[in-house]
Amino acid sequence: MRNFLRIIVGVKFINKESLKKEKQFIIVANHNSHLDVMAIMSSLSFHQLKNTHPIAAGDYFGNSKVKSYITRLFTNAILIRRSKSNGTENPIETMNKAIQKGKSLILFPEGSRGEPGKMQEFKKGIGILLQMNPTIPFIPVYMKGMGKVLPKGEKLLVPFDTYVAFGEPILITSTDISTIIIDVEKEIINLEKKLA
Amino acid sequence: MNLFQSEIYLQNKEVILIITLILGILIFSTSLFFIWGKIKPTSNLVELKMRTKSWWMMASIFIFATVVHPIVSFIAFGLLSFVSFREINSISKNVREEDRRVIIWCYIAIPIQYFLAYKGWFNIFVIFIPVIMYVWIPFMLVIKGATEDIARSMSILPTQLMLTVFSISHLAFLLSLPELSGFNAGGRGLLLFIVFITEINDVFQFVWGKLFGRHKIIEKISPNKTWEGFIGGIVTTAIIGYFLRFLTPMNGTEAIMVSLLIAFSGFVGDIILSAIKRDAGLKDTGTAIPGHGGILDRIDSLALTAPAFFYVIYNLYYV
Repeated sequence: MRNFLRIIVGVKFINKESLKKEKQFIIVANHNSHLDVMAIMSSLSFHQLKNTHPIAAGDYFGNSKVKSYITRLFTNAILIRRSKSNGTENPIETMNKAIQKGKSLILFPEGSRGEPGKMQEFKKGIGILLQMNPTIPFIPVYMKGMGKVLPKGEKLLVPFDTYVAFGEPILITSTDISTIIIDVEKEIINLEKKLA
Repeated sequence: MNLFQSEIYLQNKEVILIITLILGILIFSTSLFFIWGKIKPTSNLVELKMRTKSWWMMASIFIFATVVHPIVSFIAFGLLSFVSFREINSISKNVREEDRRVIIWCYIAIPIQYFLAYKGWFNIFVIFIPVIMYVWIPFMLVIKGATEDIARSMSILPTQLMLTVFSISHLAFLLSLPELSGFNAGGRGLLLFIVFITEINDVFQFVWGKLFGRHKIIEKISPNKTWEGFIGGIVTTAIIGYFLRFLTPMNGTEAIMVSLLIAFSGFVGDIILSAIKRDAGLKDTGTAIPGHGGILDRIDSLALTAPAFFYVIYNLYYV
């Protein structure tokens, strides 16, 4: 998978080593394409792969049994509901449980895939989760160009040179949710500036 | 299928000689910079070391291409075109989002072009991209229907194909040329000659420019290009080309003239790609080969020297 991304799609991984520095982490990345998850997961080691779960939208990937099975099989994703509905578990609770079990997470706080190259406002979940687990570092990731390779609503993959830049693992310094979110956002924007 | 054609290869004295020469130069310069760095740790050799590193990479690619079965070489050249096209297409800020489905046609054209080169079907090989794709891409763009800035896409996509696929495929076509009586080195020899002379020209234009460069040629595009480097480069290239003519069917005068042509077109290719990169707001394109920033930085001169050399040789000896 990594070789496919590298040779055919033209993905270049930058500072991938920062993933090896921590045992448990929350990867926070911008979201433009289905390829995003593949690109991040292909940079994990085999051992990390087993213990890392991307968080995916249950109302998109889980709306049919086949779709949800395939998603879980290939990415061992945790599916959450984006919209509030009765009788289902609070998504934050689901994610927190996984962290308590020692799992690492991959989160896209933009909530959904945006237009290529544009970042949307971050959702609150990441802030709450980091506030609940202040000892778990987050690793900011910025991906450039994925939205051109496979944008929202497209099925045809077109090769483009793309970059996946990993930041250093960072522990939060604040207990205020909105400050945490702003800090995380800043780190990702810093990576974006480095790439430009 | 025997992938490594060792028997044919070992009989080919000219090719062995030149490969030994290339490896010799590389080992010499690598150890020179290594020792130099040990004796004078203060001197800044980073750029030179990086350059040697990427020459090692280029040399391995092309030597490998001459040793193995032609099919492997054609695939390798095809991949080189593929990566170059992806790079030039990705850095362009003029490609529209609506063009993505048409860009797939450009990628489809790559294996077709190399298949034509492999088969040695010269007449269709030379028209496939400049004539057929030149019409097919605008046709596909029109069918797609987005007319805003469509004329720009119509001209950019075929140009990108010309610079990265059409040009490089001439290197592969050299391997499909028929055997000439009295000329042993064959297509492999021609391939080594054009690549080696192109690289030598790059190196010496750089070296002469560093040593004596005063008068800039086109400062706006490429500030490192000087008249001193350019003239020193083409003279050195012509001399080296004269001594390497045993790789080709050329006589002394022809070898000098052709080397001058290669040197000049190498310079032109270099500044054309520099201008394109400048337009994209980049100095280096990508990070595939260390020291040079990207594949495009390495194939820039080859993009013009390969077809120039090919057509001269073809018309002199193969028509």
